[in-house]
Amino acid sequence: MKKKLLLATLLLSTSALFAQVSKPIEMPYVEYPIAAGDHDEVVQQYCLICHSFGYVLNQGKKSRPYWKGTIQKMVNEFKAPIPKEDQQTIINYLVKHYGYETSSEH
Amino acid sequence: MDKFSRRNFLGAGLLLGASSLFAKETTKAIVNKNPEFIPPVVAFPEKKPMKTISDRPPLLASNRGRELFTEAITPNDQFFVRWHLPDMPMYVDLNEFRLEVKGSVNTPLSLSIDDLKSKFEPAEITAVLQCGGNSRKYYAVTGQATHGVQWDHDAMGCAVWKGVRLKDLLTHAGVKDSAKWVGLNGLEKPAMEETPDFFREMEIKEALEDQIIVAYSMNGEDLPYLNGFPLRLVIPGHFSDSWVKMLSEIMIMDEYRPSFFMDVAYTVPDNDCECVISGSDFEYKRKPIAAMKVKSVIGYPLPESAIKKGSRIKIAGVAFDQGKGIKEVMISLDNAKSWSAAKLGEDHGKFAFRPWSYDWEPKIKGEYTIMVRAINRIGNIQPMPDEIGWNAGGYQYNAVDHVNVKIV
Ligand code: HEC
Repeated sequence: MKKKLLLATLLLSTSALFAQVSKPIEMPYVEYPIAAGDHDEVVQQYCLICHSFGYVLNQGKKSRPYWKGTIQKMVNEFKAPIPKEDQQTIINYLVKHYGYETSSEH
Repeated sequence: MDKFSRRNFLGAGLLLGASSLFAKETTKAIVNKNPEFIPPVVAFPEKKPMKTISDRPPLLASNRGRELFTEAITPNDQFFVRWHLPDMPMYVDLNEFRLEVKGSVNTPLSLSIDDLKSKFEPAEITAVLQCGGNSRKYYAVTGQATHGVQWDHDAMGCAVWKGVRLKDLLTHAGVKDSAKWVGLNGLEKPAMEETPDFFREMEIKEALEDQIIVAYSMNGEDLPYLNGFPLRLVIPGHFSDSWVKMLSEIMIMDEYRPSFFMDVAYTVPDNDCECVISGSDFEYKRKPIAAMKVKSVIGYPLPESAIKKGSRIKIAGVAFDQGKGIKEVMISLDNAKSWSAAKLGEDHGKFAFRPWSYDWEPKIKGEYTIMVRAINRIGNIQPMPDEIGWNAGGYQYNAVDHVNVKIV
């Protein structure tokens, strides 16, 4: 066991982080599809800070008031650092690609 | 290879903090032609390949769907996973890990896992772990779709939990007379400092209940990393937002500390039916979700199965409640006109899944709807889907479950 540890430290040589028994878990990375256009780069800049895009995809198509409410929740409750004008860009993007305009039921 | 090493969290999460990592990980855009989201099926550490609703933080559901729910015990490697905040440690060093019991106590404690295993009497309980949002997507069948992750019946499971009674820890530390609340916090942290932390609070008198344990073992093994290794709070009968993962701190407090996830997020309307008119916004007085509601789920057959006329099939599933115990499970094959009793399986205790089964030999071809309805020992009965009270967060869905099949 000692030997193995030593070897690991030498190989990784980064820091004392790996000095202990077992090693960190490796979490697979999933590349969720993100619709292109309409300033998807703004969406990507802010909406991947705290969680994957799976959170958005999982909602299915949602109304404008719904997406507006969700962005407000991210900003007001979770403190997402998104300037006002970018919030509007993101809402428009989400309604277009992951929602619908009318407020009727679906 | 470069892609892989750059993206795995090996040490990087600890060095950089998740937020900077996430910001760098903006992926190239891909056009999404398919509006219906089918989560990819990916194997995470210690898990079979599971539906990955999100990878950061991980939200995983078994790829076997309902079929998982024909048995009382859910296997660890298929048990659902649900974290809230992206910054979870990728490594817990048991030599350094300590559970702190502090605040309004006479003797603050700092306990290793070994201490917990050797210095306290072990306690074991079989209990259902269910997300408050389990089955949430079914609200959209009879009312408006709700906020939150659109779970099927897959955010639940039942396991044998073993650990130390919370009561024993509190007694050992000596709770001061002024103390009224117990705050429980784990190692999961937000990406941004300002995002509210995820912690739970309960009144001292509740914390002293016998069945609440700090578990270090699940189904006879160490807790899987993604289910909260090395320690998880187990509150039998309560929804899982209270079951703090990677539990590291028990803070005894004289005063209540406001908690976003308890006071605002995981809440239902504070009225008798815990409901509002479908489609209302969150503008109502709220209270935290707590005790689970009586519920049953059909595990077999799967929806849209074709079954040969005259074959003998065993309709099977599980039922559970807040810990009063299941009294009866009934099946209807004629759209709720008549109900017959299912056979109850082995009793693993009042907080566990109660398996049930019903032998059926369909003699006439056609489409059938199988429905299941449970009643507990204090007479709580599941509502029909069109009777269930609606709430904007989509919590505590427990209407009668159904599966459509075709006899051919
Ligand atoms: C500062 C962190 C942060 C940022 C930035 C952020 N979110 Fe969130 N988001 C959260 C948290 C925390 C949750 C709740 C997590 C949980 O319960 O799993 C959440 C949940 C969600 C959900 C799930 C549904 C719900 O109502 O809870 C959606 C959809 C969502 N976010 C969309 C977005 C979009 C779109 C953006 C980009 C504008 C965004 N988020 C940016 C923190 C953030």
